[in-house]
Amino acid sequence: MNLLQHVGRYSLLMYQTFSVPQRWKLFLKQTWTEIGKLGADSLPITLIISLFMGAVMTMQVQLNIENPLLPSYTVGLVTRDTLLLEFCSSILCLILAGKVGSNIASEIGTMRISEQIDAMEIMGVNTANFIILPKIAGFVLFIPFLVVYSMFCGILGGYFVSLFTDLITPATYIYGIQYWFVPWYVYYSLIKSVFFAFIISSVSSYYGFYAYGGALDVGKASTNAVVNSSILILLFNVILTKILLT
Amino acid sequence: MILLEDIHKSFEEKEVLKGISTIFETGKTNLIIGQSGSGKTVLLKCVVGLLKPDSGDIVYDNRRLAEMEIKERTYLRSELGMLFQGSALFDSMSIQDNVLFPLRLFSELNDSDKAKRAKYCLDRVGLNDSYSLFPAEISGGMQKRAAIARAIALNPKYLFCDEPNSGLDPLTSIKIDELIMDITQEYKMTTVINTHDMNSVVTMGENIIFIYQGSKEWEGNKDDLFHSKNAKLNEFVFASKFFQKIIKA
Repeated sequence: MNLLQHVGRYSLLMYQTFSVPQRWKLFLKQTWTEIGKLGADSLPITLIISLFMGAVMTMQVQLNIENPLLPSYTVGLVTRDTLLLEFCSSILCLILAGKVGSNIASEIGTMRISEQIDAMEIMGVNTANFIILPKIAGFVLFIPFLVVYSMFCGILGGYFVSLFTDLITPATYIYGIQYWFVPWYVYYSLIKSVFFAFIISSVSSYYGFYAYGGALDVGKASTNAVVNSSILILLFNVILTKILLT
Repeated sequence: MILLEDIHKSFEEKEVLKGISTIFETGKTNLIIGQSGSGKTVLLKCVVGLLKPDSGDIVYDNRRLAEMEIKERTYLRSELGMLFQGSALFDSMSIQDNVLFPLRLFSELNDSDKAKRAKYCLDRVGLNDSYSLFPAEISGGMQKRAAIARAIALNPKYLFCDEPNSGLDPLTSIKIDELIMDITQEYKMTTVINTHDMNSVVTMGENIIFIYQGSKEWEGNKDDLFHSKNAKLNEFVFASKFFQKIIKA
């Protein structure tokens, strides 16, 4: 299949997905489940990654700007802005593309090859709407919480460096993370993350939904979902940065 | 009654179904038999609408599938029940929730009546002590019975079974066959069964079509089956040494 065919089939699937749910009660229940499965279950990995990345970033910035002309609070400022602008949206979403994307693609792919999707279609269920929409809605709704949580954990990681090493004092670090704060950076990060969450959930659903064959093919679908979601995240990162920041 | 008119279906260059026409009668167990790869499953998937035939038509009690609007098709699907080869139960739901699934989506009953209906269907197939178990926790035979319970939850007019006995021991297979026959008569359904299990054919074959390399080679019932002069059918029917011995005896 060429790129154009994939785009066409993906568009048709999304058209089918974004229709009014047959039963709102069931849809809301499923969306709540997906928030837990795709969103809340990603909190531990977000905590670990953000905490360590914030810590490492603080150390690296400190080691690279040993310049008497630059004030020492620059460390906190650079750490904060790097976290807000890039890490907590783009890099976090690239990592989540691996975790959430493979989860979605393998789940839907297994449903496809074990004929569970066929069974639903026989009953007259709009399978794309029933299976995919709650996943997209759940993940897109929860991603802002993950991003804000990641920002908090990343900055906390840097604070721990100031607390447990002699690279920078806690007071200087705290001054740096408060200095020249631009609230738009937070909104920019949140807007980007919503787009990325949509890409991860919809592209992974697409690869899972059209999986066929056996376990090996579900594995392939899962890999394709992660790789293509990541590429699209990187592409849209450039486009959104151009639109929102320049 | 389901009428099949000259059904053709190809996948790329390969023609899988070559003009199949037949009638599946109401209140009877209609069997599609043939070797693996003969096109049985593709035919069944065309009949239920999971695959679109390249040409030909399927008529459900004077309603032509090809001419149906989306609403009519959705309504028709609420009249269909299907038992898949691998049961196709939803892994993430308990047995009771599997049976409740079509009721929650399409039934106008209140929650208590839906639960009663699900319980009735599970009791009917003999799963009265497995409501809260998950598909992975029960045997293959129980999964088939749970799938039958789910298929009959909405009182379907048409029941389709794709190799209902695959992977089951002979005793469980007989129980599943008897259950399908009982349900067909009880609900006055048009039942279509895809199988290559000769025990099932002998037990249930009220109306049989034999598919050979995508074409309908023979049609009749279980009594005609052993007296046919059709060489291809005989090759299929008497492939088992057990049946050869019976005929010789």
